Amino acid sequence: MMSRRQGETILIGDDIEIVIAHIGRSRVKVGIRAPRRVQVVAQEVKLVGDENRAAAQAPSAEVLQLILAQLRPGPHTLRPRPDEESVRQDAGTKN
Amino acid sequence: MPLAETTNFGTIFFSPESVFEFPHGLPGFEDRRRFLPVQNPRTAPILFLQSLEEPSLCFTTLPILVVDPQYQLRIVEQDLEALEFPVDLQPRIGEDVLCLAVLSLRKTGTTANLLAPVVVNLKNYKAVQAVSQESGYSHQHFLFPQEEPVC
Repeated sequence: MMSRRQGETILIGDDIEIVIAHIGRSRVKVGIRAPRRVQVVAQEVKLVGDENRAAAQAPSAEVLQLILAQLRPGPHTLRPRPDEESVRQDAGTKN
Repeated sequence: MPLAETTNFGTIFFSPESVFEFPHGLPGFEDRRRFLPVQNPRTAPILFLQSLEEPSLCFTTLPILVVDPQYQLRIVEQDLEALEFPVDLQPRIGEDVLCLAVLSLRKTGTTANLLAPVVVNLKNYKAVQAVSQESGYSHQHFLFPQEEPVC
């Protein structure tokens, strides 16, 4: 752990420099100077990259049908609610 | 009409104006810039994003509102610029942008990436995968919660 004020800098090794550029209410702006070979990304971007690599192939037709079947449940999976039946009966007696 | 070789769909014809252009690629695929939206009526509303530069690269997506009808889109300034939108206004799903969740098929179930939706400007077809900040959305949102392992 290291405590820093706005405008102060942290050095990592000889060639990485981190500047606390601005401290806001809920976020901090950080400036990073690093050699080109060092990748600097927010952790979310790394997560999304990993996720994209896992997602990069189209699934088989069977898997697709499975997803679709779950997205659109067929009529046989829908049970009428108990109250629907009584509503229909009421409507019938009115006519 | 140009042709594209694809692993999943064979050889396909496409019109150049229907290509989505990702000026910065996607995380993990920074050098893949051009994707073709492919929809098969039999698998709608699933939309495939087929790379025009790598025949085997194809993402499976769903309109994000199909996954989460309450989804709140918030795009950071840098991504708004890439989409060529003014930075002071958030675009509306369906009116200004197409917003897609990339699906992953894992052993434990299908997940949708709600943390980073693919956002396409409907006017110019510029696209980004917009990694949201502080949204609380998951990059592995289970599509069918009953598939989630109970432990």
